[in-house]
Amino acid sequence: MTLSPPRHIEAPFHHWLTTHLAVYLDRLPETIDATVPLAEYGADSVCALSLCGDIEDDFGIVVEPSLLWDHPTVAQLAAHLTARGADPARGQR
Amino acid sequence: MTAAFTTFTHLMRERAAALGDTDAQVFLRDQGEPEHLTYTTLDRRARALAVRLCELGAQGRPVLLLYPPGTEFLVAFVGCLYAGAIAVPAPMPGDRGERLQRVSGILKDTASSLVLTDSEHAADTSLWLAVSGRGETVCLATDLEDTAGTSDDAHADAWRAPRTGPDDLAFLQYTSGSTSSPRGVMVTHRNLLANQEALQRLLGTSAADRFSNWLPHYHDMGLIAHVLHPLWLGTHCVQLSPVSFIKRPVRWLRSIGEYGLTVGGGPNFCYDLCTRRVTDAHLGELDLSSWRLALCGAEPVRAQTLDAFARRFAPAGLRAASLYPGYGLAEATLVVSGGEPGAPARRLTVDAAGLEHDELRAPAADVPTRTLIGSGRVHDFDLRVVDPLAHVELPPGRVGEIWLRGDSVAQGYWHRPLESDDTFHAQLADEPGDFLRTGDLGAVDDGELYITGRLKEVIILNGRNIYPQDVEWAIREIGPALAAGHGAAFTVDADREQLVVIHEARAPQADTARLRTLARSIQTLVGKDFDVPAGNVVLVRPGTVRRTTSGKIQRNLMRTLFLRGEISPLHDVLDPAVRALITPAAVPGAEPAHDMVRSSQ
Repeated sequence: MTLSPPRHIEAPFHHWLTTHLAVYLDRLPETIDATVPLAEYGADSVCALSLCGDIEDDFGIVVEPSLLWDHPTVAQLAAHLTARGADPARGQR
Repeated sequence: MTAAFTTFTHLMRERAAALGDTDAQVFLRDQGEPEHLTYTTLDRRARALAVRLCELGAQGRPVLLLYPPGTEFLVAFVGCLYAGAIAVPAPMPGDRGERLQRVSGILKDTASSLVLTDSEHAADTSLWLAVSGRGETVCLATDLEDTAGTSDDAHADAWRAPRTGPDDLAFLQYTSGSTSSPRGVMVTHRNLLANQEALQRLLGTSAADRFSNWLPHYHDMGLIAHVLHPLWLGTHCVQLSPVSFIKRPVRWLRSIGEYGLTVGGGPNFCYDLCTRRVTDAHLGELDLSSWRLALCGAEPVRAQTLDAFARRFAPAGLRAASLYPGYGLAEATLVVSGGEPGAPARRLTVDAAGLEHDELRAPAADVPTRTLIGSGRVHDFDLRVVDPLAHVELPPGRVGEIWLRGDSVAQGYWHRPLESDDTFHAQLADEPGDFLRTGDLGAVDDGELYITGRLKEVIILNGRNIYPQDVEWAIREIGPALAAGHGAAFTVDADREQLVVIHEARAPQADTARLRTLARSIQTLVGKDFDVPAGNVVLVRPGTVRRTTSGKIQRNLMRTLFLRGEISPLHDVLDPAVRALITPAAVPGAEPAHDMVRSSQ
């Protein structure tokens, strides 16, 4: 459905997303494959809302509670953040 | 001071007269100024609403309350009390997945002809009623004035107190138990007032306390202990929405310092969430020194969670002894037991093998042990630990089903006489009188209650009790492919009782060799550590194991789905006798399990 985005552009979001998701999912960041649906790692509604809260705080954009279900992998989430014009530099503070 | 009240309605009138313009509730919006609801406004608006409800013939009938987080719910709840109607708090129909099912079930079960909501949600609620085939149900937006143009004040002045007595129903508390069909616990004014007294006696609360709440108002612990207890005491609660809490747990903790809040809490998972998500930078700005009772209940309390939370937030002034586990259930209105305020929760390390034989035994050296967290003492109930088959009381130190009797024990389940009879009117073999069967297993040691599991979910194999959560947690420790997954362990009756383990595995379906190895390692572990033959292992995709909104594994439901052939395995190893039990039935409206957990895409 979604073409693989060029990784170098999304790299900062990839890092931010995997380190945050690792906390919610209680696992190591390097074990999260960017192309695997996060539900397979046990993502639930608490994880989905946690992600929304941290994205809003760190990137200053408002996202829908359904974000994680609409963009179910790290790669798709990163592409969405790029499309929304989020500034990757803000996530590195 | 409060013993004089015979109904919560009477109490609310007195509070309004005495407390006037002080806050009854404060709601912290996500943005903007907090919403304040004073006792005077609450009383006036509830009277006005009661007049409208009486015009609609709501007296003595169930009225569904479908409100977003905020103060309007409380107006509607008290309005129902003032009308002599039966309030039925429920989750919003707009919420996703499982919860939609729940409120539809509640609507059907109550056969309510009146639904209250706010103007923002009135259109969606009417649409939902129409789609549910209940278009004739009246949907009233309580934050709008009467369409006939009569003002709130005119209505409020026209109010007459209902002839409510202590044995009339105040509300129905729908339980989120592990069965799919919701059951409405019938709570009378006498029950509600008795449980408020029980809470006060356990927690040592007073009008000087300030409450903190993020739990939904339709949750029993949210409603009884966090929304109504402050009113009973004559103080207030500072609330935020559950979504707001989960998105930013630090907001909850920050509000405790900002408002000097003293009492509040939730299930085990909320403490885990705070420990993991609150950053070091945020920790520095928190002040938790006012927090005298961090209530933990509604699901099994884990020592690890409490210890991690206490360590993490000690620098913010949290006292470890503030963590306050308790035990309760909707069928007993709410609270049953709790510890000594200000003293650390009691812990008891017992012989694991003894526990499997229903006994709390001091462990010998070098044997496996389990540490139980005490649920405190019982003051306001006649509590018995009972052999669930023979219905005879067990001596101290023995594990059995908790049976209760007391003024807090509710009247039964709404319109379910048979289930009510089994649950609320149980009889001991050698003693007259009715008891409530809680379905929870526990034991009393030195006056302290320890809850060890749920009766129906306990696995009894070869005469030994195996606690499914122990098996499920142990499987997660096998390795990373199983660590992130949830599991459900239960038995099925295939000539003999057999253990079935369903566990979520992180492995591609094509990799059969890998899946076979995982299944084998589960069989080895269960066989080795639990001394139980685990012939039946079903590995499933993550998201398949069903849980309630508060995270409890729905084992009975998983068993049903398994037997109906509605679990699609990545890989399974089944005993032929067990496989023969699986009978796929064309159940109308039944949906595959994995579609329920995730939302529609």
